[in-house]
Amino acid sequence: MLVKDYMTRHPLMAEPTMSIVEAQRYMGENDIRHLPVVGDGKRLLGLVTRQSLLVDPGRLGSLDIWEIAGYLSDLTVKDVMVKADAVVTVEQGVTIEEAARIMVGKKIGCLPVLGEGIVVGIITEIDLLAQLMKLMATQEAGVRVTVRQPNRTGELAKMVSAIAAQGWGILACGGAPAPKDPTKWDAVVKIRNAPREEVVAALETVEDQEIVDVREV
Amino acid sequence: MSADLEWTTDMDDHGIKTPILQVDDLAISYETRTGDVPAVRDVSFEIQRGEAHGIVGESGCGKSTVAFGIVNFLGRNGRIVDGHILFQGQDLVGRSQEELRRIRGDRIAMVYQDPMQALNPSMRLGDQMTEVLTVHRDVEQKKAEEKCIQMLERVYMPDPANVMRRYPHQISGGQQQRVVIAMALLNDPALLIMDEPTTALDVTVEAAVLDLIAELQRDFDTAIMYISHNLGVIARVSTKVGVMYAGELVERASVKDVYLKPYHPYTQGLMRCVPRLGMDKTSSYLYPIPGRVPSPKNLPAGCVYEPRCDYAREECRLKKPELREIEADRWARCHFAEEIAQVSWEPPADLVPDLAALEERDEVTETILEITNAKTYYEAPSKQLIGGEAQYVKAVDDVSFGVKKGQTLGIVGESGCGKSTLVKTIIGMEEPTGGEFEFMGVDVSSPVSQRDLALIQELQMVFQNPDSTLNPSFTVGTQIGRPLRRFKTVPGDQVRAEVVRLLEMMRLNESYYNRLPRQLSGGEKQRVGIARAIAGRPELVLCDEPVSALDVSVQAAVLNLLLEIQEEIGTTMIFIAHDLSVVRFFCDVIGVMYLGQFAEIGPAEAIYAPPYHPYTEALLSAVPIPDPSVEQKHIRLSGNVPSALNPPGGCRFHTRCPRRTEMLSDGGTICETEVPPERTAEDGHRIFCHIPLEDLRQMEPVVTTTE
Amino acid sequence: MTVSERTLSTVTRPSRLQRIKESLSILWQSKVAVAGLILVLFWALAAILAPAVTTYKPNTEDAQAINQSPSASHWLGTDHKGRDLWSRVAYGGRIVLVMWPITDSFWIPGGVAIWGVLIALAVGSTLGLMSGYYGGWIDEVVMRILDAMMAFPTILLYLIIIAAVGASATNVVIAITIAGAPGVARLVRSLALDIRTRDYIAAAETRGESGLWMMFVEILPNARGPIIIDAMLRVGYAIFSIGTLGFLGLGLPPPNPDWGSMVQAGHHYIFNNPWGVIWPTVAISSLVVGLNLLADGLREESLRYQ
Ligand SMILES: Nc1ncnc2c1ncn2[C@@H]1O[C@H](COP(=O)(O)OP(=O)(O)OP(=O)(O)O)[C@@H](O)[C@H]1O
Ligand code: SF4
Ligand code: SF4
Ligand SMILES: [Mg+2]
Repeated sequence: MLVKDYMTRHPLMAEPTMSIVEAQRYMGENDIRHLPVVGDGKRLLGLVTRQSLLVDPGRLGSLDIWEIAGYLSDLTVKDVMVKADAVVTVEQGVTIEEAARIMVGKKIGCLPVLGEGIVVGIITEIDLLAQLMKLMATQEAGVRVTVRQPNRTGELAKMVSAIAAQGWGILACGGAPAPKDPTKWDAVVKIRNAPREEVVAALETVEDQEIVDVREV
Repeated sequence: MSADLEWTTDMDDHGIKTPILQVDDLAISYETRTGDVPAVRDVSFEIQRGEAHGIVGESGCGKSTVAFGIVNFLGRNGRIVDGHILFQGQDLVGRSQEELRRIRGDRIAMVYQDPMQALNPSMRLGDQMTEVLTVHRDVEQKKAEEKCIQMLERVYMPDPANVMRRYPHQISGGQQQRVVIAMALLNDPALLIMDEPTTALDVTVEAAVLDLIAELQRDFDTAIMYISHNLGVIARVSTKVGVMYAGELVERASVKDVYLKPYHPYTQGLMRCVPRLGMDKTSSYLYPIPGRVPSPKNLPAGCVYEPRCDYAREECRLKKPELREIEADRWARCHFAEEIAQVSWEPPADLVPDLAALEERDEVTETILEITNAKTYYEAPSKQLIGGEAQYVKAVDDVSFGVKKGQTLGIVGESGCGKSTLVKTIIGMEEPTGGEFEFMGVDVSSPVSQRDLALIQELQMVFQNPDSTLNPSFTVGTQIGRPLRRFKTVPGDQVRAEVVRLLEMMRLNESYYNRLPRQLSGGEKQRVGIARAIAGRPELVLCDEPVSALDVSVQAAVLNLLLEIQEEIGTTMIFIAHDLSVVRFFCDVIGVMYLGQFAEIGPAEAIYAPPYHPYTEALLSAVPIPDPSVEQKHIRLSGNVPSALNPPGGCRFHTRCPRRTEMLSDGGTICETEVPPERTAEDGHRIFCHIPLEDLRQMEPVVTTTE
Repeated sequence: MTVSERTLSTVTRPSRLQRIKESLSILWQSKVAVAGLILVLFWALAAILAPAVTTYKPNTEDAQAINQSPSASHWLGTDHKGRDLWSRVAYGGRIVLVMWPITDSFWIPGGVAIWGVLIALAVGSTLGLMSGYYGGWIDEVVMRILDAMMAFPTILLYLIIIAAVGASATNVVIAITIAGAPGVARLVRSLALDIRTRDYIAAAETRGESGLWMMFVEILPNARGPIIIDAMLRVGYAIFSIGTLGFLGLGLPPPNPDWGSMVQAGHHYIFNNPWGVIWPTVAISSLVVGLNLLADGLREESLRYQ
């Protein structure tokens, strides 16, 4: 699960000389919020966001209407973009969780993806959320169970073998520390083709583990 | 700064809906001495990200012009007169070269039919490739090289590090095309335009390149615009297809829809005139499209297809149809598309084939041509400056077969396998190195200059290239009349009448008598070439790829004509072609050649069903079939055809044979040393292979129809 | 409608006249070619119509009017013997472009430059065709000999020939032929090598046609374009060379006015009467330039619309 498999390849991009009026139109028409700015050979020069296109009202206040028009039409993407050295990017070979960590850490929703120094794609929080959906097999029907278990080795295996003993298939499986209790671990599994009652019955037999949530989705 | 970086996002950002390429009402004209030529008009289509979109059409319909329009390489006299080309939402029309370069950057790449158009013959391949990376991107030389080697591996180039050190002419055509594709991909383009990239390649190589294209498209999410005249190739690579006719897009939909249930009468006509693999002349008929494509300078006022359309009405003559959406995602340019799709097509009365007549041909047993152990070698200049043993290109090496009177023998094989040499040797244009050649009981191993006129007259030939088959300086009448005068087929005063009769036989009327070749279309030239060949009433006509250079609709007409002639005058024919569907359709007996030898020879239907020779099996699995409902086994040959200068010992196919390790006991080592035995299946079907016939029989058919 | 009727209804047959018009239209397309044609036609017409467009005889001397500048009575002035320069220049074109005097009283139409080149074409084409079509040892032998001849500068070749056999119109024709044939042969050979690979040649071979037929019927007519263009350049060069010979005193025998000899005679008086040198020089150079322009224009146009 690497960034290069989940990013959007061939994003729409702008050249530095594009006027901001055109950039605005371009982003609006194509309904996008980020526009990487590239030079020759697709090297990243900067990034334009909707914010960067907002013109500082203070600066315009002193100008008359003609001057404003002139000012706007002269402005190019190069003048308003976030410069390349300030843009947070990610290499195409890193894992998606690493990309998520960067996004969470910097509080940003989008990363241009670089490969050998050129822009090869763009990855956004939506791509990651879409991936979370797939990790949890949202598209497929099954029984989703959350089991709280002690935070130690071998507990997950116990649960999985209990499921395997019934001959059921696992659609998705994940886990995270239980909220506010470092000694516990919440494991979530999604089981294919199994009746809810039987699933509950089967998992209740596992020692030290407790079902905190069951639902058919 | 953090305020700047607080980028919001939502679902829309996820999938960008903007097509990679959107062409709206594009019109392109060329200025010429005699006025503007509107080569492309009113063309609209779009290509989504990661989609492979085919453009198919006969030659001169404007396919390449559209492609060159997109990359703005229209040359000095071409110019976009109307319309828009949006690349990732940005209009390319009306921009300066410099602006275009910036917008397109390295995001559009183009691959041409001739790989040498993209390669510099005097530069090592490695240098050419790394340049792409080092010039704009300042990648270090060392890194660039690594990356290039990786990319060459990606396109399945054998021994890439070595290839990097070679010059373009030191690798084969298929490999050159791979290098070009690899080079195009180095920039990770969003759109890759390919103009007939496999047309110059052999079927087995073509199949491998097409596989590669499909794979790359998937892995790199590259949108592909694939131009070809070959319906089969388009069916294999693309998901959507646009059909062009006389500069306009007449139909556009998914491949399946267009091929199985076409709406536009032209598309329907096209589908009827290509032979499908497995069709033969006794059970089916190719319906050529009547008439010819109008010249772009002289277009009909209404529908461009009106002069040739079976359904044309008054309205079609007056009003130009728009390309309209008939069903969801199915576009056609015809006033009556819905109606026409309902009615089933009836061939015009004069085209109803007399299939029964063909079938009723009595079995003949008289063998008219008998060839035993034929060998034709060309002396190759020795590599050493002085002395050194002379080397020989063994173009034809030990070939034996017979042809019965009135039959057609088809010869297939990849380029360079010796098909043409064999034919040239029979007709006396090459001198045989050995073997016996007997034609109607007389020896024909002497060159044509030493044969007597009566013998010369009996053997005539039809050539491949319509543009060079006729002498440009003389009229049609003179050229057809020449063999009549030379062989004194008819008395001098009747030559003209006879020429006219021959022209009529070719469905050309008397007005063609005084025309010069340049006033004829390709198909017409080819027909005149046939008339010239049969004028002396030869017993055996040798056809060297007579329809390969023709458009499919014309090809059908020429094939029909050859069939008619054969029926009327009972000529025997040897028919060379590389298109396996055409050969299957046209021939009674087929020989499959590999490196100067027959791999398999036998009745047509026997060749296309098990038992197969492993090479035939691979060929059949490689032919692109214009029918999405057909499935083919996936067999791809590795490597190239070895040089005929130094062919492999034992079975010549052993270097590439996919079957020998799995079907022979000791991993097929026997194939490397021993010449395979001739195995005779029923009915004169001979297979040259070490694998026992019973095992060959067990193979599954290559082509199966899924319904 | 049957197939053939429909096929035919879409095409019309151009008449022979149209065809000729079409090939001439190439000429009008190129401004360069038209300019060349005008120059060439001017001198050709002046030479052909010389008796009609001049008022003096070319050899009539008028001691009253020597070394005159252009005036109303002598349009281009007169030379040191008082001969009318316009008349001499116009008549001077005759021998190169219009008539080839074989003996004193017998001449055939077409000037020495034209005949020389025509004969060179005939000889050179034959050799070139043989070389190109047969190849092998014939090619080796022919090409070796021609290479040896081409090693001499052309003008030197002229000098040697004329010096050896003497100056006469016929000898000039012979000189032009000998000097021109190797070049023509080379050109025709390279064209033949290319044309030989065409399918219609193979078709003729499979009919068992003779070598002569192959060379002169199948190959030669298809090489005519480049040959014609080459011939125009050659005529230009021949005129230039004849001028040079004249200047060196090896020109056509008097009393015929000849541009080269006129320059030669005039250059002694160049300081009191430059006109005697200027006009024949202008005549030579403008005619040669005209032929070159015509050839270049035609070549460019025919390449452009291949
Ligand atoms: N440079 C040019 N000048 C004038 N006319 C041209 C030029 N190039 C192409 N044409 C004309 O434009 C039309 C379309 O040509 P184009 O090359 O696009 O066809 P195509 O579909 O690619 O054919 P093919 O299958 O033979 O490659 C033809 O009528 C052709 O003669
Ligand atoms: S519009 Fe008329 S002429 Fe054109 S394709 Fe349709 S039916 Fe035929
Ligand atoms: S003889 Fe061996 S190498 Fe040749 S085709 Fe048969 S199995 Fe393959
Ligand atoms: Mg093309």
